[in-house]
Amino acid sequence: MEQKKPLSCAEAVREFFAYLDRALEGEALESLEAHLQACLDCCDRLSFSRSFDDFVKTRVGDAPLPEGMEKRIRRAIGG
Amino acid sequence: MDSRAQKPALEPQPVDKSRFEELTLPYLRALFALALRLTGDATAAEDLVQETYLKALLAFPTLRDPERTRSWLFRILSRLVTDRHRTSSREVAGCEPDELDRFSLYDLIADEDPFPYSERLHDEFLAQFRDAEVRRALMALPEIYRVPLLLLYAEGLSYRELADVLECPVGTVMSRLHRGRKILERELWECAKRRGLVKTWNKRNH
Repeated sequence: MEQKKPLSCAEAVREFFAYLDRALEGEALESLEAHLQACLDCCDRLSFSRSFDDFVKTRVGDAPLPEGMEKRIRRAIGG
Repeated sequence: MDSRAQKPALEPQPVDKSRFEELTLPYLRALFALALRLTGDATAAEDLVQETYLKALLAFPTLRDPERTRSWLFRILSRLVTDRHRTSSREVAGCEPDELDRFSLYDLIADEDPFPYSERLHDEFLAQFRDAEVRRALMALPEIYRVPLLLLYAEGLSYRELADVLECPVGTVMSRLHRGRKILERELWECAKRRGLVKTWNKRNH
């Protein structure tokens, strides 16, 4: 059976965000997990990617609706 | 069969407005939040949302699956924005794919080592940014990256929903999100240099 070539660090890094977003599956997920088990450096990088995501999420900020906006929209669509 | 018999009437079909409101108004807050983060201005954001609702109302008879109302509305809004500023992924100044691929904020922080005795060097580096700086860095992203990134970060859309919004394959969503984050990392690094939080430019230029 053909053995799949292990991921390089550069290839692994490109998959990190998809991995964190739970968008990797099947072979892609297996290859990345195999790489992470063997590469401490990539584990540290992955942990930074996770921190980076959390950091941006908390800083995007709230965007409350301006007062009366829903009423203005209802009026615009003639409701 | 006479094809004319199937021709739609010239009069627009009557829209069930209360059904339209029932389906779309629950997403008003999310649409406004996206519009605000795309325009950076509350008045412009409200105008954009209003335009989105008017377009959506006209297109309402074409909405086949009410379950997808959210991504349908985001699609109408983001199309309005991207049609205004046509930027293809190739037109982004200073972000050649290879160069961007090599950019690593993780490595730059480790090399710079701005907190020599810290065990949480990378977290401490990020903690220095003000909210407004992060928002400004996001604003620097071209819309084709900013829209999916904001919908992911702020609204938690799945890759499949993002593909529906952007009308592209999931693989394209994946690469746009990856590139968008890389550009954001780079913007934050540039911001850190401007604020004197790092001295790399000294090492490189002197």
